[in-house]
Amino acid sequence: MKNYARIRTLMLTGLLLASVALTAQTTATGTINATLINKSGIALVFDSDPGGVALGNTGTAAASLNFGTVSAFGPLSAGVTRPTVLAGSYTVRTLFDVNVLQGGGGSPNYTLSANLAAAAPVGFSYAVDAVTLTTAAQNVQTNGAYGTDVQHSLNLTISTAAPGAGGPAVGAPLTTTINFTATAN
Amino acid sequence: MRKLTLIAIATVMFAMVSSMAVAQAGNTASGTLTVTATVNSSINLVFNSDAAGVALSSGAGTNAATLAFGNVSAFGAIAAGITRTVVAGTSFTVSTPVDVLVTKSNSTSANYTLKAQLGAADATNTWGVAGNTVTSASAATITATGTYGSNAAEAVAITIPFTTASGSVISNTINFTATSN
Repeated sequence: MKNYARIRTLMLTGLLLASVALTAQTTATGTINATLINKSGIALVFDSDPGGVALGNTGTAAASLNFGTVSAFGPLSAGVTRPTVLAGSYTVRTLFDVNVLQGGGGSPNYTLSANLAAAAPVGFSYAVDAVTLTTAAQNVQTNGAYGTDVQHSLNLTISTAAPGAGGPAVGAPLTTTINFTATAN
Repeated sequence: MRKLTLIAIATVMFAMVSSMAVAQAGNTASGTLTVTATVNSSINLVFNSDAAGVALSSGAGTNAATLAFGNVSAFGAIAAGITRTVVAGTSFTVSTPVDVLVTKSNSTSANYTLKAQLGAADATNTWGVAGNTVTSASAATITATGTYGSNAAEAVAITIPFTTASGSVISNTINFTATSN
């Protein structure tokens, strides 16, 4: 009788444990350790400035800017000004924006440099803001703000000399490529 | 021991953050801007006061100047810079030189032609520039071989009949046009 009671107790205990075990099988938990390496990066695009000529391919890193027809004394396209006319040269100017975007970085600002891809056409000289461009990169700005259009001026100084005498060719488009590089500080 | 562990963890974390910052500082992005311009030749005309003439009362150095002879008469006092000739019993002429400066840019033109024309007809007085009668009917050629970049003194003259009433104000506009040759 005593053994029977023990057996019954053991069986009940077993059933209880089994039911607990069965109940436990309905849920499961797990942990996945995922690792993400967030690499910082920056991107540069050109935007049209409201005060300048409209850029071709604005909003991209490969834009075009056309001054249109320029002369020392004649009319200029909208967005182009002529701040100086001297005996030996005159300057036409327009505005454009550079927007440098930052992703995943802690850089406070950027340095913008620019250079001519090749020597300027005869009689032409380019400057971004106050920096006269050459084929060697030069800093245009050392504390550019990320994520906003930063206005820059593009100044084209043209010799008044006649074609063949140190002046530029007339009546035909003259094209130059300017390379810009933004470096995170 | 526990303190040492905490210091070690903090040091490792600082080193990681520092290395991240260094990595960010070198990031670069580039873009190209293709710039085009078409140059045209052009010329420009401005008026300047001539040292021997009446000073322009306004607009010197521009292409819209004003020349005021002031009070003129056949026999009375005349202002400095004005030359007067009288045709007895008929009329008198007052004249003063004005400099015309034509400049060129990006041009192979050797010289220019200068023409002048009155802005409004004047049936009473006779106007002239550099010895050429100027009317409103058509443009008179002042010179066919103007030199660029040099002030050219052009005498502006008005011939006034004796019949003109005293106190009459004589005013007109002379339009000058330079054309590159």
